[in-house]
Amino acid sequence: MTQETRPSVLKAVNLGVTYGQSEAVAQLDFDIKRGEFVAILGPSGCGKSSMLNVISGLRAPSKGRVLVEDEELFTAQSKPPRLGYVFQSHRLLPWRTVRQNLEIALAASQVPRGTWEARIDEILSILHISQFKDAWPMRLSGGQRQRVSIARALLIDPSYILMDEPLSTLDEVTARSLRQELTGICQRTNATVVFVTHSIREAVYLADRILILTKGPARIFEDYKVPLERPRDYDDARIAEVEADIIRRVQAPWGLAMREESSVA
Amino acid sequence: MPDLPLSNPIGFVRKRDWIAVVPARVLSGAIALISILLIWHIMSIAFRPWVPTIDATLMAMGRALQNHSFWDDFFLTLGRVLASFAAASIVGAVLGLIIGLNEKAEAFFQPLLALALAVPDPVYIIFSILAVGTGEMAGFLALTIAVAPFVTNIVRSNVHARDKSLDEMAQIYHLPRSVRLRSVLIPQLMPALLTAMRFSFALSWKLVVVVEAIGQPDGIGASIFNSFRLLRMREVAAVAIIFIIAMQLLERGVLGRVEKKLLRWRD
Repeated sequence: MTQETRPSVLKAVNLGVTYGQSEAVAQLDFDIKRGEFVAILGPSGCGKSSMLNVISGLRAPSKGRVLVEDEELFTAQSKPPRLGYVFQSHRLLPWRTVRQNLEIALAASQVPRGTWEARIDEILSILHISQFKDAWPMRLSGGQRQRVSIARALLIDPSYILMDEPLSTLDEVTARSLRQELTGICQRTNATVVFVTHSIREAVYLADRILILTKGPARIFEDYKVPLERPRDYDDARIAEVEADIIRRVQAPWGLAMREESSVA
Repeated sequence: MPDLPLSNPIGFVRKRDWIAVVPARVLSGAIALISILLIWHIMSIAFRPWVPTIDATLMAMGRALQNHSFWDDFFLTLGRVLASFAAASIVGAVLGLIIGLNEKAEAFFQPLLALALAVPDPVYIIFSILAVGTGEMAGFLALTIAVAPFVTNIVRSNVHARDKSLDEMAQIYHLPRSVRLRSVLIPQLMPALLTAMRFSFALSWKLVVVVEAIGQPDGIGASIFNSFRLLRMREVAAVAIIFIIAMQLLERGVLGRVEKKLLRWRD
């Protein structure tokens, strides 16, 4: 099935968010298909958080519509979306063990109790953290906690997963390893992912498509299809070329002076 | 046999080494205890006969411990302490949660809470005795009203200071309200709740003794007051010391264990 014929999972139509007189998101239109990995790239303060609040169902938009699997959000009849969320910090409950943190998400998602054990074992095994099943989160490293957070998001069979700069607080070695695993896991589970990042190289390495936003109030400046086959190598020269191409494209709309860095944070 | 250093060929522990192996907490505690006993001894000489000597007090403690009426008073007072502690902790914690989570409730209760915290404890005791007489109810009422606002204040301020990002996580993962309360909010407040309980317990047993001294015919407070009226100061000191030690053991033993169990995830 080609990407275009896959069913739509998350669709934004003429989406806008304003806070009083201040406009955070001007207009967003996008359509994310099942199994797609879409990165959202934008300069600091461009309205990414406002957009995430809306597409996670936390806040109704000021204008426009959000459709999850063709059902409109924020209507009287609509159910909240079943989504996984990987936050910048792990947001695990420190007083519950890894297993208990996962169980609470399963219980809330009304997954049959009989399947919990097998699901938890499988996801922990995929993320290489089976040995920490009964550990307290405070005993884990930052990378291990973020793995648990990813496990929690994947475990509930979400319609889509939002990842809000999930690797930005990790050291580079851990972030590299997790990035590499993330691509494999998402392909294996056919997860639909919306990945917010400040790092252009990270977006190029992970995503099928990159939605490049303008400076705030946010609009989509370019819907960029990453012209690279998988699997990809983070240090591949072709990734650096695509990264340089994107940097050239965003100079004017982001109001940047020419520079060489890959990160625009 | 291990080789011994030439500077210490026969293995004596030098004086400084000996001090170094005693844990600092034990050493500090021992110094504090010796200081208290020294001050007590000096005061018993300076203020004789109003401050009893250490040995006379120890003998009075021995007699009290063998006396049935002391134990009757002790358990009566203990029951009153536990009842008022439980009532004040529950009322205070529930009110603290409501005020912390609800802006309208906070607007309504905040002035009352400020007033309740400002009123001296004896005022509650006197008004309770005037309102319901000198029976068991007066003490229970006075103590609950006196202690609960402190618990409420501790819980309320910690509800405000909670990690709101966990609330957001709970909302995104659609955790039901009861689960949010049970698994997200209450455990987060547990350190504060335990602090509030310790405070509530410490305040409760001190006030129970005062209430008994003012308005009850029995209990440890009444026993201390009767000994004071008869100027038997060694009995006053003996009963007070036994009760203080018992309350400290209860606080550190029971509440300490509960704290360790509930907060084991922090170790």
